[in-house]
Amino acid sequence: MKKTPERIESLSAEYVLGSLKGPARRRFERWMMESYRVRQEVWFWEEKLSGLSGVVPPQQPPASIWSAIEQRLWPESNVVQMPSRTSRPGWLWPSWGLVATAAALVMAVLLVQQPTAERFPMLSGAIVQQDSTDPLWLVSESGQENRLRLRPVGAAAAAPDKDYELWIVPEQGQPLSLGVIPVGDNTFQIELSDEVRAALDKSRTLAISLEPQGGSTTGAPTGPILHVTKLYEL
Amino acid sequence: MMMEDASQNELMALLSAVARQDRKAFEQLYQQVASRMFGLCQKLAGQQELAEEALQDAFVRIWHHASEYHSDRGSPMSWMMTIARYRTLDLMRARKVRQTAGDEALNYAEDERAGPLETSMQMDGAAALTGCLDELSPVQRDSILLSYYRGLTHEELSTTLSTPIGTVKSWVRRGLQALKRCLER
Repeated sequence: MKKTPERIESLSAEYVLGSLKGPARRRFERWMMESYRVRQEVWFWEEKLSGLSGVVPPQQPPASIWSAIEQRLWPESNVVQMPSRTSRPGWLWPSWGLVATAAALVMAVLLVQQPTAERFPMLSGAIVQQDSTDPLWLVSESGQENRLRLRPVGAAAAAPDKDYELWIVPEQGQPLSLGVIPVGDNTFQIELSDEVRAALDKSRTLAISLEPQGGSTTGAPTGPILHVTKLYEL
Repeated sequence: MMMEDASQNELMALLSAVARQDRKAFEQLYQQVASRMFGLCQKLAGQQELAEEALQDAFVRIWHHASEYHSDRGSPMSWMMTIARYRTLDLMRARKVRQTAGDEALNYAEDERAGPLETSMQMDGAAALTGCLDELSPVQRDSILLSYYRGLTHEELSTTLSTPIGTVKSWVRRGLQALKRCLER
């Protein structure tokens, strides 16, 4: 395969993202060894995408990890250290205690920052018609505001005297109505009560039914269920 | 939280010392960055054991390869995070860990209700990246984020998004192209 600039660009990005895998990944690693240009492109993506890792909260690894690393790197010196560790049993703990305190501080700072911090949507999904690749609606949640955003994409208007109604399908019990949803161009926002939000958090499942104009009058879906979709967490 | 220049400089100094085989510096480096790296490994792998193994491997690698770090490879932090991420992905693929971002991932997500993406801890350039992500179509952005944070392969994305694999591939490819154009502006 020729190393065209386009190929270098797209394969580098997929390599760093991790979606390039198996033999293709190994072939690409050869390219990296052979070409500075390819490595540069990879470094570009490594640096840029690592910005994403900055939003992942730190987690304190168990203390055993550090000992395991030492053991792997310096097995011989650890043999000598072993007895000294038992004679100084508190040796590891003071420093780990400090690290834990530092981690707690970091978390505290993060929690304080949270209200103003910009957030990604938490739940997201697409309502897709069977046998079609284009989504009808895109759904995303902005958790802080307890809102579900629904963006019509390829949805066609319901029949003249009909409307689409959106439901949360809970793990147990009757579907909960989120109301009639539009098909136009505008993103539609649905305010979720805490109770409804909790049900969605649990089941992550939405359904759309075809209802008489204005929506179901019984509180439960009366028309056919057209689509069911499971939201995923980002 | 901003990765201050000062702390990047400090990491740089530690990494240089590690390149000279300074064990004390290595331990300090570990104490400074292990929790950040472990958070990412956990998020990706969705399981403690694999994340622990990846973190160990990553640090062994950092010890042996510190001298190969140079500024073209990004900040010291992003270089180390990248090592941790690749190692986690390798182990996941080798163990055939199936990612769905569905129920299994959600079980894991429940005990961190504070939410992996709820806290905005910005590193250098993260704000620019976030701005550029907003320019992508939602399906492009979601596909890229699911690959990045959950390590989803094209096949797994296709299952998760109930969309044919060809379409998913082109979402990822076009999304990355658009991202690059934006980041280069």
